[in-house]
Amino acid sequence: MHSTLVRAQNVFGFFTTVAFCTALLTALSVLLTPQTPSTTIELRNVQVVKGRPHYYSPKKEEYAHIKFDLDADFTSLFNWNTKQLFVWITATYPSSNTSSSAPPSQAIIWDTIINSHSQSHPFNPLELFRKAPTPTKKSKKSTTTKKQEPELQPGIIRLKNNKPKYQITDISGTLSDRTNVTLEVGWNVQPWVGALTWTLPEGTQLGRWKGVKGGKSKVFNMPALKGKSANSETIVASGGTPKAAEASAVI
Amino acid sequence: MADELLQQAQELFEGQIDFEGQKKTELISTMILAVSGLLAFILGFVQQNIYVTLWAGLGGAAIAFLVVVPPYPFYNTSPEKWLPKGSGMAGSGIEIDGKRIN
Repeated sequence: MHSTLVRAQNVFGFFTTVAFCTALLTALSVLLTPQTPSTTIELRNVQVVKGRPHYYSPKKEEYAHIKFDLDADFTSLFNWNTKQLFVWITATYPSSNTSSSAPPSQAIIWDTIINSHSQSHPFNPLELFRKAPTPTKKSKKSTTTKKQEPELQPGIIRLKNNKPKYQITDISGTLSDRTNVTLEVGWNVQPWVGALTWTLPEGTQLGRWKGVKGGKSKVFNMPALKGKSANSETIVASGGTPKAAEASAVI
Repeated sequence: MADELLQQAQELFEGQIDFEGQKKTELISTMILAVSGLLAFILGFVQQNIYVTLWAGLGGAAIAFLVVVPPYPFYNTSPEKWLPKGSGMAGSGIEIDGKRIN
């Protein structure tokens, strides 16, 4: 500590240690926040159609077009250290009907990224020193007349009769008449510092974190190829044919 | 003249402080950094805002740099009292193996 350079080096060296310890505390503090995610996923409508992977492909494959309802409450996954949440829906079905030893096939039909409040509202301390704009008469009026909308907590998803983002196919090229298909919701929490965490299955518990409530749809079967027979759609909605997509996401 | 200037510039650049000052800087830098790190975490956790942690930690580090790095006069208050020049040479009475050394 005898000269300027040595002091600067020592202070910076210890600062890196302190920064690491603070980050470690932050990462561990996440375990203190309880997590109680819950989802309800249901199939609306599924169709299997023939198609090509791209326009010039000579290969024809079968594609499943799965419409679904999703009601999810992931608000408890957003703690102070959460940067964003990645949510997806997979269709899971047995790889083959004959051998049960093969692991099931899974394909993602829909996904989304939900930003946390800290991600969408970055805080810059320089803003504190910047002069606040002097309020004019006009702005005063607008603030009084305009209602301040309450900030929505991120993590609520409400989707009705939602179209899939991805039409899925199988490695074998055929998807019609597959049985035992379920839709599953998965997620990945991406923190500012610390470890990534993935879906906790239903019934499990990790400290204060509870496994997902719901998370799986009822089992359904893929219909026959569209156009081959009259009954080529599996419609689960109780009120007859579903209306045209009325998707509304509150994210 | 040029030599004197050069020496002054070098002293300014090196910014040396005395032994007591070194002890003080060690203690002060450790305290400021450790307390600011802990405070940053607590403030951020209470306010549930990760940016508070980030900027409080960086602010604490900046303060530590400002307080400790420049050679302030209060780090030079107790200079070491060295023996006068040449005092060790003229029969100071150092004995090695029973012999006086001059």
